[in-house]
Amino acid sequence: MLRHLCVLVCLAALTLIPGKAETPAVIAIRNARIVTVSGPVIAQGTVVVRNGLIEAVGETITPPADAWIIDGAGLTVYPGLIDSLSTLGLSDAAPMGAPSPSGRRGGGPPSSSSSSGPATPPARGPEDRPLNTSYLLAADQLAANDRRIEAARNAGFTSAVTFPNRNIFSGQGAVINLAGERPGNMVVHSPAGMFLTLRTAGFTAGYPGSLLGVIAYIRQIYLDAALYKEAKQIYAAHPVGNRRPDYDKHLEGVLAAPRILLPASSPKDIERMLRFGQELKQETILYGLHEGYRATPLLKQYNGKALVDLRWPEKSRDADPEQTDSLRTLELRDKAPSTAAELHKAGVPFAFYAGALAQPTDVSRAVKKAIDAGLAPGDAIRALTLSPAEIFGVADRLGSIEKGKIANLIVTTGDLFQDRTRIKYVLVDGVKYEPAPPQPAPPSEATR
Amino acid sequence: MKALLLLTASVLSAAPPIVIQNATVLTVTKGSFKGSVVVQDGKIKEAGEKVMIPPGAQIIDASGQFIMPGIIDAHSHIAADSINESSVSVSSMVGIEDVLDPEAISIYRALAGGVTTVNVLHGSANAIGGKCVVIKTRWGKDREGILFEGAKPGIKFALGENPKRQGMSASTRTPGGPQYLRYPGTRMGVEDVIRQAFNDAKIYQAEWKTYNGRKARGETVIPPKRDLKLDALVEILEGKRLVHAHCYRADEILMLLRVADEFGFKIKTLQHVLEGYKVAKEIKEHGAGASTFSDWWAYKVEAFDAIPYNAAIMVKKGILVSLNSDSGELMRRLNTEAGKTMKYGGLTETEALSLITINPARQLDIDERVGSIEPGKDADLVIYDKHPLSSFAKVQKVLIDGSVYFDRDRDITERQQRELRKKQLLEKEKQSQPQQKKNAAPTRRLQ
Amino acid sequence: MKHLSFFLAATLFAGADDTFVLRGVTVHPVTGPDVENASLLVVDGKIAEIGDAKLKTPKTTRTIDAKGLHAYPGMIDSATQVGMSEISSVRETSDVSELGDFKPQLRAAIAVNPASEHIPVIRANGITAAMAVPDGGIIAGQASLMHLDGWTWEEMAIRIDAAMHLRFPTISTGGFLSRTSFPEARRNYETRLKNLSEYFEQARRYQKAKAAAGPGFKPDLALEAMLPVLAKKTPIMITATRERAIKDAVTWSEKEGVRIVLAEVRRPGESLALLKQKNIPVILGPTQELPLEEDDPYDEAFTVPVEVHKAGVKFAFGSFGNQFSRNLPYQAATAAAFGLPYEEALKSVTLYPAQIWGVDDRMGSIEKGKWADIIVTDGDPLEVKTNVKRMFIQGKEVDLESKHTRLYKKYLARP
Repeated sequence: MLRHLCVLVCLAALTLIPGKAETPAVIAIRNARIVTVSGPVIAQGTVVVRNGLIEAVGETITPPADAWIIDGAGLTVYPGLIDSLSTLGLSDAAPMGAPSPSGRRGGGPPSSSSSSGPATPPARGPEDRPLNTSYLLAADQLAANDRRIEAARNAGFTSAVTFPNRNIFSGQGAVINLAGERPGNMVVHSPAGMFLTLRTAGFTAGYPGSLLGVIAYIRQIYLDAALYKEAKQIYAAHPVGNRRPDYDKHLEGVLAAPRILLPASSPKDIERMLRFGQELKQETILYGLHEGYRATPLLKQYNGKALVDLRWPEKSRDADPEQTDSLRTLELRDKAPSTAAELHKAGVPFAFYAGALAQPTDVSRAVKKAIDAGLAPGDAIRALTLSPAEIFGVADRLGSIEKGKIANLIVTTGDLFQDRTRIKYVLVDGVKYEPAPPQPAPPSEATR
Repeated sequence: MKALLLLTASVLSAAPPIVIQNATVLTVTKGSFKGSVVVQDGKIKEAGEKVMIPPGAQIIDASGQFIMPGIIDAHSHIAADSINESSVSVSSMVGIEDVLDPEAISIYRALAGGVTTVNVLHGSANAIGGKCVVIKTRWGKDREGILFEGAKPGIKFALGENPKRQGMSASTRTPGGPQYLRYPGTRMGVEDVIRQAFNDAKIYQAEWKTYNGRKARGETVIPPKRDLKLDALVEILEGKRLVHAHCYRADEILMLLRVADEFGFKIKTLQHVLEGYKVAKEIKEHGAGASTFSDWWAYKVEAFDAIPYNAAIMVKKGILVSLNSDSGELMRRLNTEAGKTMKYGGLTETEALSLITINPARQLDIDERVGSIEPGKDADLVIYDKHPLSSFAKVQKVLIDGSVYFDRDRDITERQQRELRKKQLLEKEKQSQPQQKKNAAPTRRLQ
Repeated sequence: MKHLSFFLAATLFAGADDTFVLRGVTVHPVTGPDVENASLLVVDGKIAEIGDAKLKTPKTTRTIDAKGLHAYPGMIDSATQVGMSEISSVRETSDVSELGDFKPQLRAAIAVNPASEHIPVIRANGITAAMAVPDGGIIAGQASLMHLDGWTWEEMAIRIDAAMHLRFPTISTGGFLSRTSFPEARRNYETRLKNLSEYFEQARRYQKAKAAAGPGFKPDLALEAMLPVLAKKTPIMITATRERAIKDAVTWSEKEGVRIVLAEVRRPGESLALLKQKNIPVILGPTQELPLEEDDPYDEAFTVPVEVHKAGVKFAFGSFGNQFSRNLPYQAATAAAFGLPYEEALKSVTLYPAQIWGVDDRMGSIEKGKWADIIVTDGDPLEVKTNVKRMFIQGKEVDLESKHTRLYKKYLARP
């Protein structure tokens, strides 16, 4: 019966997902170089995958008799990459962009938190709970047919932490695997944290209309949430003679989140958000961090964790050629990729996210820039595997090649982030995918 | 052990004393003389015609130059990423402290104009605005480093045209869109908003008092809601937060004084207060300070009776008056703004200087620390090449807490280095460009 | 008896109005060295003599004791909205910007309200004349040089068509709410520039048609107003702030063969050499401004005049507004504090504007034969502390009271 189902699933997956090969339940990759990430590199060894999990890994493993054998000679096995901040699988998400330092822009067009259209009156204060969808769970919103999933997988990503991102309290993320017939197959862990932006309601569109208002609003919500929790507890113990607290889904969502994600790029933003997280007594992860190279002592001081946007800042393409950018901007463009190395040196936990990068080559090139700016290649791999798993509390199941962990693997023709290296196989939950061989982009595409 | 700790402390703060010599010292509160100022451990140790030079002191020769206390701007919006939470008529839940930008270039520019202390205010879109914060222009320091430690917190109020703007139909109508007017739309409504808010604050205050009482008696009670908006107003009622109220016309000034009387709090300063000269008597009686412009007028209807003699009249009527900038540009030359009051109303040199030093210090309750050259005060000093009340004066050096934060010579050297560094970076970027062009297709993630 | 009263009136008023002598005054002619303890004789509104204490004057000449005081030429603000706008934020009180792109026929002078409260306020700081500049569109209209005294705009007007104001098209990518790409901004600019050139072409054809006086010729008020421009009688005041726009404007003016004055020049860069070579004067905006770019030195705006002066380009200051026009002298003073020679600073608000606007035969300095546009002060007029004690425009003493002094006196006396 189970076997039957598996075949069905595989067949279904085959028809739905291009590039996927028929995958038996047991696979052994032999004679490969294995970058376990959690332990030393195995120069030549074997990884055995069974029922979606890593059954064994080592130099002297004998592949089981029932295994489908992949000859790994000349190939390297890595843990599948994890995109630590994405909107994969969420069709309703706003386009990914760099976090807005001033809060003027949080990505995406201004939209009301409610769906009742433009007739909604502007919020008059925190009590109206503007831009608050804290109760949204990415896990509930997933669509397995998001076409971006395959593109990410072809770039070597087998997991992503995906978040709704439209509001100030956008909702709760989920750690997902980047393959699966149904959304339910994909979810590894939920909730993974509350995604906060500093976007405003928009000009004359009600509260909060400014960064000032957004910060005060978030602060008030956490005060309200604390009171809500206390009131519920008191009421549960003493229902007689006390007025019942009103149910508030906006606060339920806030209370359910294990951690929060806040945007920060410049040192002032980093300081502001680290202090804010501490004030709110929330485990805080910062995202963005392009100017993080200047703020490592702060991050260290506050035990900050960082998600670094791999879309490094670039010169605007259609700017006036006679307008030169400020020294600060030039420095930022020059030094942003060194952020990762600086964070590593300072011992600040960090992971990369692909941000608005689309193509496998873009991700690879972006990581290469971080490596050129001083990050050891092994640490770059860690920032895309075990580190994000640790940051989101799923290192017991993702992020390295260890016995018992989820069989998310990539098999490459060489070192990752090298120009000539190709990803030959991608395994998600033990299911094998073969990315289509790369086609050189036609020149018209390249220059568009 | 204690001795050891003390020793470490003194070693840590062992920046050498500074003696600024041969200058004309304008103390503001203790007269002017040719002499020296001695700075030690961030404080003014001595100022006089003859001073004791501490051993190992660094000597700054200021022959022919003038020293005055660092300028204090009681009304500014520099160094903040966000100024106005204009969506609501009472925005006392927000605070500038949350959005300070210690790297804003406006800080350095203010410093180069001799400003060492700044009251950074929320905007004027609301009858009761956001909380404000006092900073020193310690360029190069982080957020913690620029805060004026120990300064009493403040809050912005605003009367007249600005807070009623969103309640006036013509200005909010957008073609095709729905029209939402924000109360109030008149000066009557502005008063109403403030009175309602303080009425709410008193009820809130009482609720918490009741709750605390019951809790103290050991009862199990659900606490009242903490409301950041009302918290700030309760602080005003308790005298813990200074009110700085933007106002123009005499009628609205008087209104606010009476509302404050009604609810039992004080207005610390009336800001802009362009028609303050018309109700100087009432302002004096309430005990409010006045922080005004030297010569702004006619940019809107409520500024049409503004006169450059405003500061002088109010000084003559016994009000504590300061001149402010409300502008990152104007704040760089508050010295000559003060000079104008000698012409417009005939203030003395000391009265003019007081408007930008000791008076604003008193208005911000920081006069124990800054605002004049007196032993024991913070060594916040400005050295000018000419008398600071002259149009031709130029800041040479600015000290804050006894450290030189601005030096014109150093600035001139640094600008060349900056240009050089910029050229190098541009060159570097250019070099990496062709390689980038070859590979980097501007791809977008599939939507 | 009747005869006698007539005689008395004649003696009282004939010399009283615009004939007088200032005695004991230090004269700062601007064009030459200062003269201490001078006697400055004004006859019929014109400067007749700058003599020493012994200067003999007719008995009927009114003597004004100005001992310890200083006489300077009245200052000239080269760009204002004086009289054209009363309260800048109230549309109904502003007549500065007209609709349409090409309106050379509009004349600023006729929209200058002689009863504007701004006029006495500006005057009180020693400014005796100002350019009233219309704005809006590309060719905004004629800027008029006005005396700051007169019962009517006609009496105030010195030269109604002192300049034709043209806001030169620029490539602008930045807006407050919207940004356009550089290529798009460039296309917009090219379209506007093309329209401008076509307009000039149209004006030139009109000029020819008028000269030919054929039977089909019909007068056109707008194109008619372009004729003095084409004839180089009226300069074009071109607003162009930065190097690229300045160079473009100069190239364009060469092509069109017109005379220009550049206005609101702020970041001329290497165009200064070109301006010097073509002998093009500039009107500088206020020096009391923030630097344009984050990386600029803090004193960037303060030092623009020095840069222009060093390049040998003629310049004058304009306040480009209303509210702060009275601070014109302090704009010049700030430039002086940051390196502009003092004499240059003083000339940039007196002699140079008169030269630039083609009226230096009548005003801009204290010289024999020129109008007695004179201020009497207790010190350097560029110093903020200095009081203007008396003012004469064409020899007629002007009241220095204003709305401000009236309110001052009224409320100072409030019990």
